[in-house]
Amino acid sequence: MIDNLKAEIGEDIESAEQVGRELRLRVRPAALVACCRFCKERGYRYPADITAVDTGSEMRVVYRLVSLESGEHVVISVGVPRTGGSLPSVTGVFKGADWPEREVYDLFGVRFIGHPDLRRILLTDDWQGFPLLKTVPAQSK
Amino acid sequence: MSVGLTPTEQVILNMGPQHPSTHGVLRLRLTLDGEVVVGCDPVIGYLHRGMEKIAENRTYAQFIPYTDRLDYISSASNNEAFVLAVERIAGIEAPPRAQYLRVILLELNRIASHLVFVATFANDLAATTAFLYGFREREVIMDLFEMWTGARLTQSWIRIGGVGSDIPEGFEKKAHEFCRMLGPRLDEYDQLLTGNRIFRVRTEGVGVLPPEVGVDYACSGPTLRGSGVGFDLRRAEPYEVYSRLGFDVVTDTACDCMGRYRVRMEEMRQSVHIIEQCLDQLPEGEVQAKVPRALRPSAGEAYGRVESPRGEFACYVVSDGGTSPLRVRLRAPSFYHMAALPEMVRGWKMGDLVAILGSLDIVLGEIDR
Repeated sequence: MIDNLKAEIGEDIESAEQVGRELRLRVRPAALVACCRFCKERGYRYPADITAVDTGSEMRVVYRLVSLESGEHVVISVGVPRTGGSLPSVTGVFKGADWPEREVYDLFGVRFIGHPDLRRILLTDDWQGFPLLKTVPAQSK
Repeated sequence: MSVGLTPTEQVILNMGPQHPSTHGVLRLRLTLDGEVVVGCDPVIGYLHRGMEKIAENRTYAQFIPYTDRLDYISSASNNEAFVLAVERIAGIEAPPRAQYLRVILLELNRIASHLVFVATFANDLAATTAFLYGFREREVIMDLFEMWTGARLTQSWIRIGGVGSDIPEGFEKKAHEFCRMLGPRLDEYDQLLTGNRIFRVRTEGVGVLPPEVGVDYACSGPTLRGSGVGFDLRRAEPYEVYSRLGFDVVTDTACDCMGRYRVRMEEMRQSVHIIEQCLDQLPEGEVQAKVPRALRPSAGEAYGRVESPRGEFACYVVSDGGTSPLRVRLRAPSFYHMAALPEMVRGWKMGDLVAILGSLDIVLGEIDR
């Protein structure tokens, strides 16, 4: 799997590591859609989750694709700037990516290029800011 | 004056957020052509409490009671997903007796949740008697929870490294009694509902979800198994002692509201079977592993996946070695099912929309978080 993926995607795979049943990939934004399509064609048809992690120093969007037949996971991490960041949308590959991408936009401010309907989902339309960024305090003092 | 086809125009209708058939504070922005739904835009977030942000400002143990407030119909599965993820990062394992007790608690929660489903789903279709039946049986489970944990809904009884307490004296006898009682009661439901002509007309062939579409939307649980996909995390990625217990993964190939209903009905019988096995196999011993008071798991991440009554409830926890998590992501099955709703209701009438929405068994607490 890793070798085939590297042969197809090439240098845009920054790192690949197998941890138990999880294949953890670090991928450049340019290869994200191709990588998701590659996985879907090989049985990873269930887009279990799309979310983001802001560590305070860097931010990444995390895609978890699962094969219901083999039970294997592929976890794709893509680095993205903490302000004004954008990534290509994978809604063209998975219908189930629509709402989670809206949520990542809503709470982290990442824009998904090519998303059919990118607007806030949990917060009100006139909300200012993106609350899950570490720059936003958890409690007002 | 000639009477031909009356020209109609599309109407936008607001349904909810205060509406008895939306099962909570859900708003649907519907586009109707006469009575037919041509567009559906779910508006969610009315119950958003910022749970994932709150988690970053609490210790690991402090966050457990918050998880009860996600899927409040079956709070133990939320506790379990979070605790599983934390135990995996911190390298903690609950003692065997605690693992069995967790499964008993989880399966009782599943039955309670499915009973609420049958009750409210029947009520949506105007079968009020079944509503009262469902809540009558559920009350016995609530009494069992109260006897064991002191709480009826938000138990918080699955703790890091174990459970809140051992089961009290007399619990096993009462649990056995409940297991023996439920089967015949479910047979009654079958007579009242499953074979009922009106119920069948309202559910058979309605709201078809093809299996490949369900997988593409990341649907799970009875919603996906009602479309014939045998995906159940208790079997696919067994946690606790599920790998030692015998049960069937229930599927139904109907792909409609009736299929999803039948899956849940049969799952209750399977849960009874699981609980009886747990009570029979229950080993002696501790119910809580030694866990440091101020838990500081080493830096890393873990994903805890649980088969909740609604489907895959998962918790993605990232630790930086501190006393609070760096990030907690709560993956709720109902969120993904709501996303698939617009495609499922297109072309059906308003009344069918109520049946289709009911058949997904959503809980807004976990959608909005």
